[in-house]
Amino acid sequence: MLKKPPLIKISLITAIVFVLTAVLAGCGAGAKGQKEAGEARDYFKVGVITSLSGPEVYGGNVTRRGYDLWAETVNAKGGIKIGDKSYQVKLVYADDQSDPTAGADAVQRMITSEKVDFILGPYTSGVTMAVAPILEKYKIPMITGSAESPLIWKQKFKYTFGTIPAVDLTGSSPISTLAKDVQPAPKSIAIIGVNDPFSKAVADAFKAAAEKEGIQVVKYDIVPAGTDFTPLISAIKGLAPDILAVGGHEKEHMEVVKACKSLGFMPKVFLMHYGITTPDFIKNLGKDSDFVMGAAVWTPDVNYKDELFGSTKDYVQLSKNRWGSTPDYTEAACSATGEIFAAALAKIGATPPLSEEERDKLVQALEEIQVDTFYGPIKFATEGNWYHNNTGLKPLTIQLMNGEQVIVGPKDVRAKDPVYPVPPLSAR
Amino acid sequence: MGKPARNSAGFPKNRKERCRKMDLFVQTLVNGILIGGIFITIAVGFSLAFGVMDIIDFAVGEWVMLGAFTAFWFNHFLHIDPLLLLPLVILLFGLIGYLFQPVLQKVINIKHRSAALMALAFTFGLSTFFRGSALTLWGFNNRNLVTFLSEKSVTIFGVTLPALRVGATLFALIVTVLFMVFLYKTKTGMAIRAAAENRAVAGLMGIDSHRLARLVYALYAGLTGMSGIFIGSIFSVFPEMGVRYTAFAFFVVVAGGLGSFSGAIAAGLLLGMIASFVTVYLGGAYVFLILFFVLYLILLFFPKGILGKGW
Amino acid sequence: MQLKFNRGPQLVLLFCFFLVLCLVPFFISSFWLRIATGVFMWIGLALSWNMIGGYMGYISFGHGAFFGVGAYITGLLMSHLNVPFFPAMLAAGLFTYLFAALIGYPTLRLSGAYFAIGTWAFAEMMRQLVLVLKVTGGPYGLRLPAFLNETFFYFLMLGLALLVFLFSYLVFEKSNFGLKVKAVREEETAAQTLGLDTVWIKIQVFALSALFPGIIGGAYAYWITYIHPDSVLGPLIADQMVIMVLLGGIGTLLGPTIGAIVLYIGNRILWVAWGDSSVYLVILGVAICLVILFLPEGLISLGRAKKFRPGGRHFGRAPAGEIARNKARAQGGS
Repeated sequence: MLKKPPLIKISLITAIVFVLTAVLAGCGAGAKGQKEAGEARDYFKVGVITSLSGPEVYGGNVTRRGYDLWAETVNAKGGIKIGDKSYQVKLVYADDQSDPTAGADAVQRMITSEKVDFILGPYTSGVTMAVAPILEKYKIPMITGSAESPLIWKQKFKYTFGTIPAVDLTGSSPISTLAKDVQPAPKSIAIIGVNDPFSKAVADAFKAAAEKEGIQVVKYDIVPAGTDFTPLISAIKGLAPDILAVGGHEKEHMEVVKACKSLGFMPKVFLMHYGITTPDFIKNLGKDSDFVMGAAVWTPDVNYKDELFGSTKDYVQLSKNRWGSTPDYTEAACSATGEIFAAALAKIGATPPLSEEERDKLVQALEEIQVDTFYGPIKFATEGNWYHNNTGLKPLTIQLMNGEQVIVGPKDVRAKDPVYPVPPLSAR
Repeated sequence: MGKPARNSAGFPKNRKERCRKMDLFVQTLVNGILIGGIFITIAVGFSLAFGVMDIIDFAVGEWVMLGAFTAFWFNHFLHIDPLLLLPLVILLFGLIGYLFQPVLQKVINIKHRSAALMALAFTFGLSTFFRGSALTLWGFNNRNLVTFLSEKSVTIFGVTLPALRVGATLFALIVTVLFMVFLYKTKTGMAIRAAAENRAVAGLMGIDSHRLARLVYALYAGLTGMSGIFIGSIFSVFPEMGVRYTAFAFFVVVAGGLGSFSGAIAAGLLLGMIASFVTVYLGGAYVFLILFFVLYLILLFFPKGILGKGW
Repeated sequence: MQLKFNRGPQLVLLFCFFLVLCLVPFFISSFWLRIATGVFMWIGLALSWNMIGGYMGYISFGHGAFFGVGAYITGLLMSHLNVPFFPAMLAAGLFTYLFAALIGYPTLRLSGAYFAIGTWAFAEMMRQLVLVLKVTGGPYGLRLPAFLNETFFYFLMLGLALLVFLFSYLVFEKSNFGLKVKAVREEETAAQTLGLDTVWIKIQVFALSALFPGIIGGAYAYWITYIHPDSVLGPLIADQMVIMVLLGGIGTLLGPTIGAIVLYIGNRILWVAWGDSSVYLVILGVAICLVILFLPEGLISLGRAKKFRPGGRHFGRAPAGEIARNKARAQGGS
């Protein structure tokens, strides 16, 4: 009565499934490969990897807007001019699902199936870390217009560049503005950081800067994402710090401000990074968002010029027309990222599709390049702890006033004096 | 962590310090209760559905999300205060739940050796579908739900009570009490309890358990959608918001004992307290670590819930 | 009803099948090779989960924790102590095995939904623990030395998947131990009365079903080179294992395999086709719901005649026919 599982049947079915899969996969890849590799494209194929779903979907779409606007503008002007001919740009998207694994799969697909010429990088620092080693292997250059974690640059990836200076370069700016430019100078600071790689780096940067400036850190806490801020704010309320600094994204900042308001707690100033410059933060909090301070390397008020967008002002207007909101520094950085590639391509005179040799040249050009964009002068460091990070930009201290980002520091470039202490939330 | 560095002058300053500590302690206690209140709002309906239908609904957080979005859109277009939308949302989601339940029932009735697990997987698919639809339809933006209670607060003896959270807690308690009255004092309620205890015997006694399950699911969907209004206005509204509330709902219902309302209230308060005290006295980093550790211990040592009243 | 078959053709077939698998990396693009690697990884994971969920009827939502712990142990050994990859991966497997035995002792006293939620709470606990520990890098995650040879990882994952497949076949389908495990699934009390040491059996199965995810987790960490608590310890890992097993057919050898292939490839194909929007989530959700509504026995039921007359709606109750069959086998075997 023993009934043996029919091994033959099992292996047969499995074999069929595997073979089918392999054939399917092979066909898909083969078909695509032939189409792309066989013909000489007369346009640049650009991979965009960013978070189009998952927890970081908001930020991912901010970067996407920036990349899109660059591609649309370039194409409307005929394309990237290499020698006498202009080449159109075609963006190919892949969602990294805010997850390093999916990001790694995505970049592999970009490179091997889509055969992209270069890549515009992810929104989150975590995905950037997972993607970068793969780019090393295939020798595909990438510039991320968003990731700000200092960890990335310490790894010294040859093919990865970043437009926005790492947060340990920028985060200190608002703290030093507060320590030097306001009266009476703040004496104490409470720091909250969310436990993702980027936000923790922000909190660490705040902490280091505060200690350097002699501001007492009365609380430093790294909290899990999705936590309820009320108990923490209650504890901080008892310590009555002059500054409440938060490392996180727009959602956490909104929740902290709401929790503070509902508990009747008002520090002399809120300091938050990143996300206060995103349209959502300002729109959702309305008047409560005013006087929040942050760090940035770019605001709509700076004044730079380039050939593609004209001036910073023109760019802001273009972006407003296209997306219905004022761009923040990440969105703008993403648009500028495209310009950097275009400039480097023009310099080496490479035409699509790029060969491996040309891509190596491109990396070299990127290392040497110095471009002026509407975003400011761009130059990548070629050694040290910020290897391939754009350290050329001046960190700015910004403060929101009437829903606008205003530069309040450093002293020599500020548009207005910083407001400190700020009016309480209840009296606006 | 911050150390109050004003000890040099001795006793008088110490007294002020002690006063501050006392205030903080009471405030932490109150915060704990209010956080617990939020947990309870999600858990009430879930507890009932869990008890009566044997269903672990993975989509509970998505019902919260949809409720919050419904309120947001009504508020956006018609400018009705979200809190006034509570009755509308419970009706709307109750209706959706009532219409949808037969599909779920079909899954539960599937002749399969692990039908309950199939139902679980089904709700997982459902939650993916809801989340994806919300992302596709409404985009990725974070939204804010402003009610007339938002960000108002009352201060009594140095303790601040955020009005909206107090409202949510009161709401949770009222709903729970109404539910208990319904379950213990009405005929339908009795039938539901009977069906939850033993469906076969209840069936023999002439109780139509399918109709009851439909009713229970409608109530569950309505209540959970309604709690979305509170949660959306206390925190923020976005398509991916559901996941964390699914976790909390499981938590409260299991720690309280399946199907036990008093247990759910006790568990909600206990968990709120833990969240609050751990954050203040140990550090926010450890909140979830300790919460889940406690849940694990509760399951091991009090599998019928902390009050021992679960089914 | 038993068909007599010749051993010869069967071996030839197996050999051909293996040959095809070994030749695959030389014919497909490296993106699809990567997908294939992912498929094998998930086959291994789904089959591991099937050991406890399918054969023993204990639904665990905590197996993602063992995957993550394996990944972290491997990562820590490699990046902090410079241990070579293979010893590190095996050490990770051994550790998760012992760790699971330890955790299993108290946890396995729970059953049904309580066990499911208990394991889930445990897994969340592990994630939060890794997030606050210093040595794991906390929220910064952990970077491993990069070794970017897609073919190596293809064969590694293929090997691991075959290992789990054979192990499941030999231990759970062919041996007396497998019968004992099924006895625990059908009627735990009865099994106990018959003199089976059910506590020991349950701990064994739990630990075995954690051993392989631990090893696979280690391989995954080396493959992806960057691990973060949210990516290797997140609830999605365990959820996917469960869904794959259910989709394919629970408690069988082929079901989880097919489930893993279909779900992983399906997900990736949808994602390739609609990568720039979130529509694929909608399609995925609908697909899962439809399969469960119309193919409750899993995709595997498409390929076989309807033999089951199942009944009962609770966890772990089996069709009467199978119980009788198992009893017969148990008597025959012992």
